[in-house]
Parts: sequence; C-alpha cells; structure tokens
Amino acid sequence: MTSLSVNADKCTACRACELTCSFVKEGVFAPYRSRIRIVRLHGFNVPVVCVNCAQAPCIEVCPTGAVYRDRAVPVVRINEAECIGCRECIKACPFGAADWDDDKDVAIMCDLCGGEPACVASCIYGALDFEPEATVVRRKRRATAEAIAARTAG
Amino acid sequence: MNIRDIAAQRILNVDLATGQVSTEEVSRRDLVRLLGGRGLAAKFLYERIPAGTDPLGPENVLIWSPGTLSGTNAPSSGRTSVTCKGPATGLYLKVSVGGHLGAELKYAGYDYLVISGRAPHPVYLWVDDDRVEIRPAQHLWGKGTRETDDLIKAELDDDEIQTGIIGPAGENKVLFSCIMVSRYNSASRGGVGAVMGSKNLKAVAVRGRGALRVARPKPYFDLAARMRRELAADAGSESLYNWGTSGSIPGLDEMGMLAAYNFSQVTIDNSERLSGQYLVDEGYLTGRESCFACSTACHRYVKSHSDRWGDVDDSGPELETMMSLGAECGLTDTEAVLRANHLCNDYGLDTISAGHVISWAMECYERGVISPEQAEGLELGFGNAEAQLELIRRIAFREGLLGDLLAEGTQRASAEVGGDSWKWAIQAKGLEQSAVDTRAAKSYALAFAVNPRGPDHLMTETYAEFGFTEEAREVIRKITGDEKYANATLLEKRADIVRWHEDCYAATEALGFCVFTSTAAFAVNPENMAELFGHALGIEFSEEELMLGGRRIVTLERCFNAREGARREDDMLPWRMMNEPVPDGPNKGMITDQAMLDRFLDEYYALHGWDPATGIPQVETLKALDLADVCRVLPEA
Repeated sequence: MTSLSVNADKCTACRACELTCSFVKEGVFAPYRSRIRIVRLHGFNVPVVCVNCAQAPCIEVCPTGAVYRDRAVPVVRINEAECIGCRECIKACPFGAADWDDDKDVAIMCDLCGGEPACVASCIYGALDFEPEATVVRRKRRATAEAIAARTAG
Repeated sequence: MNIRDIAAQRILNVDLATGQVSTEEVSRRDLVRLLGGRGLAAKFLYERIPAGTDPLGPENVLIWSPGTLSGTNAPSSGRTSVTCKGPATGLYLKVSVGGHLGAELKYAGYDYLVISGRAPHPVYLWVDDDRVEIRPAQHLWGKGTRETDDLIKAELDDDEIQTGIIGPAGENKVLFSCIMVSRYNSASRGGVGAVMGSKNLKAVAVRGRGALRVARPKPYFDLAARMRRELAADAGSESLYNWGTSGSIPGLDEMGMLAAYNFSQVTIDNSERLSGQYLVDEGYLTGRESCFACSTACHRYVKSHSDRWGDVDDSGPELETMMSLGAECGLTDTEAVLRANHLCNDYGLDTISAGHVISWAMECYERGVISPEQAEGLELGFGNAEAQLELIRRIAFREGLLGDLLAEGTQRASAEVGGDSWKWAIQAKGLEQSAVDTRAAKSYALAFAVNPRGPDHLMTETYAEFGFTEEAREVIRKITGDEKYANATLLEKRADIVRWHEDCYAATEALGFCVFTSTAAFAVNPENMAELFGHALGIEFSEEELMLGGRRIVTLERCFNAREGARREDDMLPWRMMNEPVPDGPNKGMITDQAMLDRFLDEYYALHGWDPATGIPQVETLKALDLADVCRVLPEA
C-alpha cells in the first residue's frame, strides 16, 4: 500500500500544503478548507492528515455509506453527494483529520487526490512523502540497523 | 462561508475611543496604482492624519496591511506592513513583519485594519471574521508578550488564532518598543509598540475562516508554485535555511564589516560564537520556522540552558540582534545574547535599538560621560552581560533615571547627557542605525540616508551592489547597463541602484513578499511579481507598471515626511559613520563623508524629480506619477 507519511521534524509550518489542498479541492486559498492541517507547537510543527485506518471509525459510524473505502487508490473517501451532514465521522476520527466545510455543508477528508497528493508535491522541506509503505519500512529498518552498527563500532 | 476576490479589498476601521467599527471598500484604481499593502497604507496615513499629529496621541492611526497576495500560495508572500507616524522620528514609519497574522486577517475578510483613537482603559481587539469586539485587557496589562499570548488564547479557547501583542515596553511607551506577532515574529522598529501602548491597546487577535479567490486561478497557482521551487533552489535561500540571517557573520567578519563596540570597531574576537553556524554546531538550534507561505524558513528556534544567564526557549536571534546585543555591546557569550534576545522579545523591545542604546551607554560610561552615580550601581563597560540584561529590564519598565532616559533612544538621551555623546549616538532622524557599515558600502549609505524612517536596511536593501552572485550582477547590469558597477565601493551609479531597489522593495512589500526573495535572493523579481499581480486581479500588468507602483509608494512616503517638515538636511547618516573612517581591516580608511553624500543626494533627487535644495517631490513629478490628487496639500517646493 502506498501512503502519505509525515516527517514532522522537517515541517517549518509554511502551510503550502494547506494552500495547495484548498486550491486543488475547492479552487480557493483557505486553510480551513484544507484536508491537511499544520499544528504549530512552540518550535515544532506537525502536519495532521487522514491516515486511512484499516478499521476506519468514520466508515463504521457513517449512517448513509457516504464514507467508504475506495480500493482502487486505496483510500478512505467521502461521497459528498451522500453526506447528510450528521458529523458523526468528524466526531469518530481519533486524529482530528476529518473536518467540516462551512461553505458546502459537508464533511471533508483527504482522498490522496486519487493517488497523486498535491500537498506532497508542494512540500519543499521534505515533511511529506507519498511512497509504498514497504519502502518506508525498509528504509527505517535500515536506519535502525545502521544506528546500532554505529553505536557498536563506536 | 465568505469567499472573497483578491481584487475586492476591504478596510476595517476601528475607533478605540468610541468603540465604533466600520468597513469600507478600496477603489480598484487605488489598488492598481499603489499595489495595496504598504502602498495603500501610505495613502491612508497621508490622508487620515494631519501634519503635526502627536505620534503618541489618540489622533495617530495604526494601520495593519498584509500584502495584496498574502494568503495565497505565492512563495514568502505572507508579510504584513504596520504603518503609523513614528514616535522615535516624528516621521513616516512602516515596519514589516512575518508570521501568520496577515494571512489570517485576509481570511477574516480584511486587507487593512486601521486603528484610531485611544481606549479609555486597556483593551485588546478580537477580530473573529465578521464579529469585531473590543475586549477589556486590564488583566493583561503589565504582562510579557508570551504570557499574554497564552492568556488570550485560553480566554478565547482557541490556540490557532493569530496575535500581535505589546509587552511592558510598549505600554510604557519606550521609543523602541515593538509588537510581537504570531508570538515569535517582531514588528520592530521606530517605536511602533509605543503607538499601540499609547492607544491602550494591548493586543490584536484574529481568526479568519474565509477563502480568497484569484481572477485567473490556474495560471496564478502554477506560476506561484514554480516561483516557490525556484526560490527554494536559490543559493541565498539555501544558506538562509541552513544558518539563518546570522549565517552571514563569518562572511561579514572576512569583509571587515562587523559592527562592534558601538561601531568603533569592525572586528571582535570570537565573533563566530554569534553566527548561525555556531547555533547549529553547538546544538542551540532546535527548529527552523517559516512565515506564512515561505519557502526559505530563515527563522530560528533555539533553546539553551545556562545557570548564569537563565534558560531560553524562544525564536531568533537574527543577525541584527547578534550584532546589536552582541558585538556592539562587546559581547560574544552566545548564551548571554540568547537570553538578551529572549528578554527583548518578552518585554517587547526592538533588539536593534535596544542593543545600540545600551552600546551607546557603555561608551558613555567608559568615556566618563555617564558617571558611576548616573549608572545607578551598574558597571556599564563594554562586555558586561549582567549589566546589559539588567538594563533591558529597566528600560522596558522605565525603571530608575537611567532606564527612563535610555527608553527615549540615543538621540534624546545624548541631548540630555550632553558633551560629545551625540557623536557616538549611532542614529539619524532619531532612529538607531542597524548594524550595517555604510562607510564601505556606498549604495547602502545613500539608501540609509534617504530612508524615510531612519537609517536601516529594512526600507530598502542594495545587497546586489556587492555582486556576490551571478543573479546579483545581472540585477546591477539591468539597472546600470554594466555589471562593473556591482562594486560597493564605487561612487558612480549609486543613485540609480538605490532608486531601483527602493521601487522594487516597495512593490515587494505591497504585494506581501519578503524582501529577501527579491533583493537578497532574486527568484522573486519584478517580472514575475507583475505577472502574479495581473493573474490575481485579472488584468494585464507589466513589470514597468509594477515598478512605477513602487515609485509612487516611495514618493508618497516622501511627501508625508515633507509635510512634516523633513528636508534635505534630514537625509543624513550618524555622525560617526560620516566622520570616523573604518579603523582597520580590508576597508581601513573608508568613509562616506558629507561631500560624498551630497553628490549622491544631488544625483538621487535629480533622478526622482525632487527639488535639489529641499528634497521635496516637485509638482510635475507628482502629476507624472498620477499622485497629484493624493498629495494635495504639499508645501511648495
């Protein structure tokens, strides 16, 4: 599975991802309507975005089936036409990654732009990656091994 | 929810005396000819306060203006101008600040926030989209900027609002008090914090949930995204990301252009301890921060633990802070300077003037002009960090005779102390010069002298004159026709270089871009700025028109000062910079003296169409610039 991964230590809170997301999705610049949001802590910034849970609470609580799993991408998606605005998905999301769009009166969540997330392309700091999970895990595994090797050698 | 066209600019007027709040629209003609942001703010200031207004009286206005393109994906376009009549100089004052407040104001539905009047008691302003509220702030008065930020966010139950806050220094009307924006960015110079304090305004807090729309979305977005990538790839940007502004310190040391010991020296031992490289190597740097939409992230976040000076967990310091609070005061103890920077941020003091006021006092003390009794128990000689940290506090609270005296800045303090102390007060027009050696950089010298707010690099910067990069030499070639003029010690073409940079700088800030992107790195330039502006408004707009807009802004600012009585003799540099040659190093013996400055001024006024004797823009000049209707009451040249 290819997924969006966040390297928070590289995020500078420029918020280009928010601007790109709202533009690509809604044609306007509006952080409030972005599917990805930057939380600025003091001297540390964290991009927060849908992680596509395997057991997705948003899908489970949706009464109309508007929130569903698109197996082609794969990603959890919302069919805005079927959203009745009950906000159950927003309440159920443990990450604060689903939000409410005041303008369209529907819930919004990241759909990975159908497999080519625009936010990742906009991030010049390397805080966002979109890669096969296996690649990410393999890289981390190797970094762990190299760290242990360096410690042992040192 | 509110979707707003970028071209449909709105003003939010708030009168703190009556509590009255109103909105008005900006005419498209004004937006196109003055470019918005800093440009329109200059017009409002000119129109809304008469000559002779007391900068600290209720009649002064405080204008917040994000750039016309702030809030969009244009790279590094989120900066805000804060404009008023300045208390340090009694003249036009614009400060530019980063952070995220400007974009938030745009999303709330406003391009300009114009604050007038004086509240009967301490208040803060809460702009929550359409809802504007003046809230009591007695419980915040006297508190530092950090605690105030925490308290406001807790009280409004929202940690994502953006704030602009003054500390005790602004409340006490210290003439170099600042406004801390988005907690970590400083709107610094000229005492802009005191103007807020004089209005009993502790803070501005903004929440914006609206959206911005440009007229030609796809071309705009794509061009901005391309500029973003080009800017990130620029060598200047890369250095700013890695080391921050203080990454230039080793280079300045090599060039013999450090400012040390109140500008009496150009070197200082261990200067590397003030450098951005040192902050990284020694582990003080914990984060790199962007302002809104920035693709450089030069802003620093640092932590230090010091039993002697106290802990620091804060933003900065910038190059200028390292110079003024460090080298100028004879200090290279990194942890002491980090602490001094932190105190200035929390009390709300401009670090540039704070450092230079203290270095002036140190020189006075060493020369016996300030006696030990007048120093009120402080051993004030150069290099004493303990005395410096204590003085920062006394100045912010105007504590004791010395703290109260220094809170007035070096122009007034030297008049009070007397003797020759005015000669080492490194100020002109009432503003302390930033730590740039104008003796060995001639365009800088002219730019500083004609700067409407006083001598610093933050109204225009002519970095290209050094010709360090191919891009810089290209800019000089474009201005003068020959890249041989990319030489900071030449006298020829300095007026041309300054005027071009002023126009570019003003346009850059009107649109909301960071000037680093257009006059230090060059990936943002008049050509692509004009194209973006055109896409945003849905008009055809050329580079020439953009630069003409910049020229109008510079001219309007000049007219404001002329109306206040400023004349050619005010286009001046600090005495030391014009009378004491560089003492050693590669530039030894260099000076920009009165004769040289006069030559520059003659050329510069002629280029502008300003009267050679007075420096006042001539009527024909105003007509040619389509400004005759704005500057109606200008005194006869």
